[in-house]
Amino acid sequence: MREPEKRINLIKRRDFLKQGTLGIGSLALSQLLSRELRASNQQSRKSFLHHPPRAKNVIFLHMVGGPSQMDTFDPKPALDKWDGQALPEELTRGQKFAFITPEARVIKSPYDFKPRGQSGVVMSELFPHLATVADELTVIRSMRTNEINHGSGELFLHTGHGRMGRPTFGAWTSYGLGTENENLPAYVVLKDGLPVSGAPIWSSGFLSSRHQGVEFRKGKTPIHFLDNPEGVSTQERRAVIDAINGLNGQAHQYYRDPEIATRISQYELAYRMQTSVPDLVDINSEPEHVLKQYGLRDAQGAESGSDFARNCLLARRLVEDGVRFVQVFAKGWDHHANIYSALPNSVRKVDQACAGLISDLKQRGLLDDTLVIWGGEFGRTPMVQEHSAGTGELTAPGRDHHKECFTIWMAGGGVKGGLTYGTTDEFGFGIVENEVHVHDFHATCLHLLGIDHEKLTYRHQGRDYRLTDVHGKVVHDIIA
Amino acid sequence: MKNRWMYLLFGCFLLPAHFATSTTAVHAQPKSPSYNRDIRPILSGKCFKCHGPDSETREADFRLDRRESAIDADVIVPGKPVESWILDVVSSDDPDLRMPPKGDPLSSEEIALLRDWIKNGAKYEAHWAYQTPNLAKRPKVRNQQWPTSELDYYILNRLERANLKPAPKAEPAVLLRRLYLDLIGLPPSLEAVTAFEADPSPKKFKAHVERLLQSPRFGEKWATGWLDLARYADSNGYQHDDLRNMWPYRDWVVNALNDDMPFDQFTVEQLAGDLLPDPTHSQLIATGFNRNVPTNFSGGSKVPEVRADVLHDRVATTGAVWLGLTMECAQCHDHKFDDISQREYYQLYAYFNKAIPEFTQQGEGMFRKHFTGRDVVVYSSDAEQKKAQKLEEEIALEEKLIANLKALVGGDAIQSDFEDVVLLDFEGPDPFKNNTITRPAINSIEEDVPIDGGKFAAKTVAKPVTETKGFFGTGFSLPANDLSGSTEIRLWIKTDIASPFNLQIHNEGRRASVFEFSTMDTDPGKWTQIIAPLADFKKPQWSTGAVDWTRIRKFQITAFGNGPYDGKYIMLDNVAGATSSERALRLKQVAALREQLASLQVAAMTMQDDESPAETRIFKRGNYATLGVSVETGVLESLHPLDPEAPPNRLGLAKWLVDNNNPLTPRVVVNRIWGEIYGRGIVTTMEDFGMQGALPTHPDLLDWLAIRFVQDAWSLKSLIRTIVLSSTYQQSSSATEEKLEKDPQNEWYARGPRFRLPAELVRDNLLAVSGLLSEKMGGPVVYPVQPDGIWEEIPGADVNDYPTSTGEDRYRRGIYTVWRRGNPYPSMINFDVPNRSVCTVQRDRSNSPLQALTLLNDPVYVEMAEEFATVMKSWEGSDRDKVIRGFRVATARQPKEHEVEILMKLLEAQVSWFAVAQTLLNLDETITKS
Repeated sequence: MREPEKRINLIKRRDFLKQGTLGIGSLALSQLLSRELRASNQQSRKSFLHHPPRAKNVIFLHMVGGPSQMDTFDPKPALDKWDGQALPEELTRGQKFAFITPEARVIKSPYDFKPRGQSGVVMSELFPHLATVADELTVIRSMRTNEINHGSGELFLHTGHGRMGRPTFGAWTSYGLGTENENLPAYVVLKDGLPVSGAPIWSSGFLSSRHQGVEFRKGKTPIHFLDNPEGVSTQERRAVIDAINGLNGQAHQYYRDPEIATRISQYELAYRMQTSVPDLVDINSEPEHVLKQYGLRDAQGAESGSDFARNCLLARRLVEDGVRFVQVFAKGWDHHANIYSALPNSVRKVDQACAGLISDLKQRGLLDDTLVIWGGEFGRTPMVQEHSAGTGELTAPGRDHHKECFTIWMAGGGVKGGLTYGTTDEFGFGIVENEVHVHDFHATCLHLLGIDHEKLTYRHQGRDYRLTDVHGKVVHDIIA
Repeated sequence: MKNRWMYLLFGCFLLPAHFATSTTAVHAQPKSPSYNRDIRPILSGKCFKCHGPDSETREADFRLDRRESAIDADVIVPGKPVESWILDVVSSDDPDLRMPPKGDPLSSEEIALLRDWIKNGAKYEAHWAYQTPNLAKRPKVRNQQWPTSELDYYILNRLERANLKPAPKAEPAVLLRRLYLDLIGLPPSLEAVTAFEADPSPKKFKAHVERLLQSPRFGEKWATGWLDLARYADSNGYQHDDLRNMWPYRDWVVNALNDDMPFDQFTVEQLAGDLLPDPTHSQLIATGFNRNVPTNFSGGSKVPEVRADVLHDRVATTGAVWLGLTMECAQCHDHKFDDISQREYYQLYAYFNKAIPEFTQQGEGMFRKHFTGRDVVVYSSDAEQKKAQKLEEEIALEEKLIANLKALVGGDAIQSDFEDVVLLDFEGPDPFKNNTITRPAINSIEEDVPIDGGKFAAKTVAKPVTETKGFFGTGFSLPANDLSGSTEIRLWIKTDIASPFNLQIHNEGRRASVFEFSTMDTDPGKWTQIIAPLADFKKPQWSTGAVDWTRIRKFQITAFGNGPYDGKYIMLDNVAGATSSERALRLKQVAALREQLASLQVAAMTMQDDESPAETRIFKRGNYATLGVSVETGVLESLHPLDPEAPPNRLGLAKWLVDNNNPLTPRVVVNRIWGEIYGRGIVTTMEDFGMQGALPTHPDLLDWLAIRFVQDAWSLKSLIRTIVLSSTYQQSSSATEEKLEKDPQNEWYARGPRFRLPAELVRDNLLAVSGLLSEKMGGPVVYPVQPDGIWEEIPGADVNDYPTSTGEDRYRRGIYTVWRRGNPYPSMINFDVPNRSVCTVQRDRSNSPLQALTLLNDPVYVEMAEEFATVMKSWEGSDRDKVIRGFRVATARQPKEHEVEILMKLLEAQVSWFAVAQTLLNLDETITKS
């Protein structure tokens, strides 16, 4: 078993500053926080923490592109009947579509759906592994967003606003709750491909840049510039840092600038990260049964599994070490064309890993504290798309973007298990009951983290901004 | 705690009542509360949301931001706190009665202030920032020796009242370095430092100031802050994050700052250069300011929606940059705190809504939108411009020859070559299957085409249910065909679709080339011949590369527009290409020359208004699809009036913004310049001068600077000169315990500024210290080394290769590094650059382990350390001499004995000048303006 305490020398920054030979700890910290204190001078900083949290951490699995709800978690037998026909006009009138026309014909789902687990949560045959943890899931079929293209849709899902420039859910969480481990970023981003919006969907926006997501990249150097330059030994690096910090200490005596003290501690932390971070991302230190759980080893013990599976395991390790918010992006869910050969592949890359993550977290007692979220930036149309968006060429059938309803699921972190929430119409086109708008989703997630979404604000340009803007209601029905 | 309490005592005894306008926690409480200072912040924070400017959300039909209204409703009864209803409700214990109904109740201190204020007559004051700046009498000071500039009196007066003393003057080396970093963003040479140490007289200091103000490096340094405001970047943002050419605008900013273009002109040219009489090339490029807006070209985004986003951004940016006001709230409703109605918002919007459509979804690759606005041609360098001139001459010569040929032959005769003809049959369910029918061509195709459809008819009836909006078309495959010897493709078309068409030529995969033509002017009943010169084919954006003409696999004809269509006939003839004639060869030559010319030309995006602009209507609830009443252009009523002669366009708006009577613009600008030098503004909320913003720490100084700025003909260089020549600026930044305790943020300026350099200057400064810096100015963006693979990941982008610069372009100043919004330069991100997606007034200044890792391990900084090590080794003298000199090059100042010891020990232990160089480049002092 790993021993995180041993592996990472957990010197808490506060302790370091207090114990530091310079004796300026409290001042340095106040300097660090000053910008935020200034911003929240109208409210006491923690007034938004008004109820006990159900979750301490979040793992947000974003299926980039938008999974098809009617092929995964929201069965629509009526589509068999409507297959090849246009939807009733009153349904599509005034609706925005990305590439198809409102008259496009309906296409049925070829998949078989069954209730799973004790609770009978329904999912399609594409998810044999996830079916084994069905009783942990809260499936929300009635999600709704404002945006129908990827750039804005991703931004809306992560920042509650369809344009660039706002802080993300992860950044707000870091701002609200801080970090549990000063030696690691509070907010880490893992991906197997780049979402179309790029860095703005892990940005801190107008919050301090300390809250932006830090990307852990695939490979031996998870963080940019983590490795010593070629030919520089650990011993030389140590000597250089000692010299830098020695000279900075001199400067501090002269200038008394608390920033210098902070910089000294950051160089120490950087040095520790150079060994702790590569250890942290080395999943080969996991026992074989765990690797198998995520599909990272096959029955014979040979390496297998997707980058996404690796990222799921990494997410668990990060959460275990006190990272507050782990954002995982999974590419390849934008099925405009050829959905029935592409979708099974997309699911195959995530099915076992998601199930593995949930059961692994549960076995370690971490699931209660960790909110796992799975979903895309929007859903897909019940109607077919048959032309390539780029060239107009005919393609094998796919489905277009759809914002009026889509499905996500959550697990752990204080949500009920084995629950299906919200109802869509017989086509999977619109919501009939219990709508959960993205703002409501954010309000609910923050609530689970012990945060009142109306009180977690930041004053910027004369306005108290919130993740939920002026909207959002907590969906108490899904909370255990 | 004790100290703060003591301090409050000092405040009460020593300070006159009007002193306590500071926003610090330690301000003293005078006798009579002032509306602006004490009351408005309470009302604005707790009450205005429901009892303020926004008529839509106003409760109980009274507003607390208007005295008459509050009095009418008996909410406030001047002089009579007991009768004033407001005090009852804010202090009520009954949760149903208590105001505000949501959020924290008022504190007892706040209630006491309100009571006092009402007792004293409940006097309202206009918001300070909306009032004309007022020139106060020069403040009195005890220490007459210290001030060297008028502004010092304002600072010292405040310090003396707070019982603080100014810091001693900074030591010459540190002061000179500070000045260099502030004015040009680069460090002084060691020679300049030692000379100044020998004679640090004010005269010598002033000489440095003047020289630096004239340096071309000045514009490169000061442009950065302006480019943050202008949300300048080199890509669109959003999906694909495609690159765009904005650098000519960046160079315009650098040059304008170097020329000390008066700020009013600087404003007019950027906002409305295109509307000036006979605008120059440069004035057009200046309007790139408003073309910098990120543009969402994602598949599926709608043109009118993107347009609305772009225009909202322009209004918001104008408000933030010139007025220091947040306009955004008024998109959906009247502003809740500031006097900006929704109607006024859309009046401002109307100025920008006069612009021509700047992007479209027509043409090649319907998937993406494209810029269509006015472009201005620029060249990357003088040499390229000369090359272009030569090419233009050659083209003119060729065209003359072609014209002569035409005259000889007598027209553009078309020879039919009796080659293969292809008819497209759209009738069947799968046009791909049955579309390759060949037969000998004949001169008159029309004769052979049955009118009612049939064997050779290319007819289809588009079924509205199945067709994708905007697309209609088909293709047909043919064995790999070599067209490289041909000069043109001819096709016959007979169609009743009046529409743009694409003729697409495909290789394997997604490599294609497209020729655009239109049937708008053709006769629907007649066969028309289209001639597509190979030279006129273009690579569409969705194609993965240039087409290979030797291996054509497929032709495709696509019409686009809005269906449904009925009865389309399309016939291709001579698709294998026509034989070459002299004329065709020459045309091909001209096309090649044109291509060469185009590759030299850069299209700079500029603004242009529509001759018959669209009507502007209020968006209900801010939604572009639900239109309200129509509005004309207009400005904010609570500010100075618009000149009645002003044209109702951006030029009128720009002139209004820099009207000498505008109370905001000069204050906002001087505050920002002050902020860049001191690390914080006199108004600390540099982005908000509205009701919710902070009050100025030194209101009289702010006004003095603003008035002087306008009097000095809006000269930024004069303003900067005034600031740096002051004693205030020249203080040591070393803090005493007392000052740290009393004024941790240096809000009162009892010491000099000290803060970490912004990202670009961290790079520039270390490049200069190491000796690698290139002084090359301007031109296209550069691509310094970055970690591998970052751009490769961008899905569907036009450019996925990061073309790492070679030669001196690797060592250019940070301002020239390519700025891709969604995928920014990693080391700059670690030093807090914004993503330039919106106007950014103030950058964050974090202090993180990632910064340490960057400076220690980023190959760019490692290379600098290597170079610096080589330079140090090459110096003459002992190791000790070299270490001392290295320290001085990095920090300017003479190291102390103990500091030399640390470095010598490192050198001896590691036997590595690289280790010494890394240490020096990583010092807090090296990356900080001290």
